Amino acid sequence: MIESTLDAASLRQKVIANNIANVDTPNFKRTEVQFEELLQSQMRNEGNLVGVRTHENHIPIGLPKNQMPEPQLQTDQMTSMNNNGNNVDIDYEMTLLAKNQLRYNTLVQQMSHELGMIRTAIGRG
Amino acid sequence: MKLTNGFDISASALTAQRLRMDVISSNIANANTTRATFVNGQWQPYQRKMVVMQQRTPSSFDQVLSASMGQANVGEGVKISNIIEDDAPFKSVYDPSHPDADENGYVQMPNVDILKEMVDMISATRAYEANVTVLNASKAMIVKALEIGK
Repeated sequence: MIESTLDAASLRQKVIANNIANVDTPNFKRTEVQFEELLQSQMRNEGNLVGVRTHENHIPIGLPKNQMPEPQLQTDQMTSMNNNGNNVDIDYEMTLLAKNQLRYNTLVQQMSHELGMIRTAIGRG
Repeated sequence: MKLTNGFDISASALTAQRLRMDVISSNIANANTTRATFVNGQWQPYQRKMVVMQQRTPSSFDQVLSASMGQANVGEGVKISNIIEDDAPFKSVYDPSHPDADENGYVQMPNVDILKEMVDMISATRAYEANVTVLNASKAMIVKALEIGK
């Protein structure tokens, strides 16, 4: 679970970097990563109805237990910040950047802690 | 997954903003240049230059590869696709002693507006700073990731 969240955080880092890189590009629309929301709804739905899929093209109904949701990219096409059709708010992106970095650090620390616990368990603590 | 992809995105923006800065420098340096190009036996004043920024999209191979690996496709930063010239009319300044003055004493001066260039310069500087911050953040994240398990 921590791995997937770390993956989502590093993907989000790239997306924010791309948004900030295109802060002056006309008609650029910002992209966002959705992961935590999906994870939360997945955890809430755990044990609920899950559709059986016999073909890979079947629409999945609920994710099976213990399966992590994939981070989704969402482009905000509707808004416009500037008169050149760009909708990157640099202050907002910088805030997201700081938030994402802190989250990433927290996850890394959590992971180190888990590894430390395993080390203790095998007697090398 | 390329570990340093975030670096490339920020680096492309740094390059683009630096080039934008170079163009602004050229505009300000040539704010009084009356002999920029020689057309039909006559000197033309300097024409203000502008950059065209464009989103850099991954190559089709990268797109197919990351799609088939089930990875999300992030853009690849920004590029300056073109440097265009401003078609705004030249400024006519009355200065009969100027070597390029016409018979009525008017000189065609470049269509560079110093105020506009200054504002553009501040914008480019701030955008550059923002991208340096992102680059440092990406670096800090990777350094932190190397600490896993220590």
